[in-house]
Amino acid sequence: MRIGHITFCLLATLLMSLPAIGQAADKPDELAGTGYFRDQDTLPGSFRFYQQLPGGEAGLWGLGPTRKKISRASFNADAHADVADYSPQTRCQKCHAPETRDLHGLRMNITCVQCHRNVPVTGILHYYSPLNPIRRHAYVCAKCHEGATPSFASYMVHEPNPLAPESRESFPLLYYGIWFMLILAGGVFVIFLPYTALWWIRDLFAKLTGKLRHD
Amino acid sequence: MTEQRTRLKRFSAADRLWHLGLVLVFMTLSVTGIAWMFYETSWGRGLGSLFGGYQGTLEVHRIAGLVMMAGFVAHILYMLTQIDWKGFPRSLMGPDTLVFQWVDVKGFFAHLGWIFGLREHPRFDRWSWWEKFDYWAVWWGLIIVGITGLMLYNPVLTSQFMPGWLLNVALWVHRIEAVLAMGHIFTIHFTVEHWRPSSFPYNASMFDGSVDLEDARHEHPEWVARLEKEGRLDAALVAPPPVPLRILYFVVGYAIIALGVFLLVFALINAALLTLF
Repeated sequence: MRIGHITFCLLATLLMSLPAIGQAADKPDELAGTGYFRDQDTLPGSFRFYQQLPGGEAGLWGLGPTRKKISRASFNADAHADVADYSPQTRCQKCHAPETRDLHGLRMNITCVQCHRNVPVTGILHYYSPLNPIRRHAYVCAKCHEGATPSFASYMVHEPNPLAPESRESFPLLYYGIWFMLILAGGVFVIFLPYTALWWIRDLFAKLTGKLRHD
Repeated sequence: MTEQRTRLKRFSAADRLWHLGLVLVFMTLSVTGIAWMFYETSWGRGLGSLFGGYQGTLEVHRIAGLVMMAGFVAHILYMLTQIDWKGFPRSLMGPDTLVFQWVDVKGFFAHLGWIFGLREHPRFDRWSWWEKFDYWAVWWGLIIVGITGLMLYNPVLTSQFMPGWLLNVALWVHRIEAVLAMGHIFTIHFTVEHWRPSSFPYNASMFDGSVDLEDARHEHPEWVARLEKEGRLDAALVAPPPVPLRILYFVVGYAIIALGVFLLVFALINAALLTLF
């Protein structure tokens, strides 16, 4: 009886997601997009979900990376227009060193211009930038990740330091989640490593004094 | 010549098979996971070359992860069949239960007191508090590592059902929980089971299934007394395993222990070379 009840509830939950399948083309699924990159997904205003604008609530009660500080240059056609000493021959790493240390760069040896292009380097929030969140999944991510969706593109390639205080504002879930995990893991070791060491010593005493049998 | 029956059966064949399966899959995941995590270092790349490089390492890690999850589900179903449903929920509070009881909390503090020489060794029943902890800690670890691992398995698919930035969180959680699990096993678990002076150098009870009767009388006296009182002690006595089998247990067991220690030591050595952020 109870098993039947539980099974029914599980099935009902699964079936309730059925309406998401076969979305009408004019009202695309927020997360998965339509897959029609040219005609649907990348039109202006299609997806507001992942726009990284300050103060934006976006999904999951603002726990995501929506409050990152945005510089004005990100809206310009040439993000480096107001940068002194910049020339196209300058290495990106000279000023953007932290951004070269994430998994895309380290593991896959992807260079900056493969995603950011360089004639000129356009601000990612410029209306027509390929990296603008409204079309990033189609113009950039899908170059390697077949089937990338708008939600997929909201993954932060240049992840902030999860432990840094700035992340508390710019990516709250990352900050709190990772601090929680570190305190949990660290707590386990801080308690049980000394415990085990002391136990080992006590066991040694018991063995040496002939009291191996814990009498 | 029959050997004296000086050992007490403690782990059933099923217990031992579950543990062995867990050990093999866990070690596979550990080696591939650490190879991936340390791929920037030459040591990591060397480990990864055993599996066919970067992609191969990831493939093996993913497949082993699926096997682990399937095993976890199978184990949960198995445990459900082991519960005495007629006596439920009282049956979960008996002396043989793996569920934490108040007596385990008392046992923890009593054990701590013994460590500091303040009192005599507590009289444990079938399972001491740390054995129960070792059992349930695996559940916690597998749930956390499993859920985040499944999220990371196919990022494009996952992002169709949840925001992609959850993958940033998932990767960190997966890493930290995996490091916690491996660190715990390769230090604390190995020490408690094998390297304590009373069992040094090796404790084969999880392979052989039996413990020395005198050791059991002194570490789990309530259990032995209960078996005696219920007249079940004699049936539970077994002879020690033959020497070839003991050699096999030692060699296989120590190969696994050595692998764990190797991973731990070299991971610590190479940790400074990692770029995490």
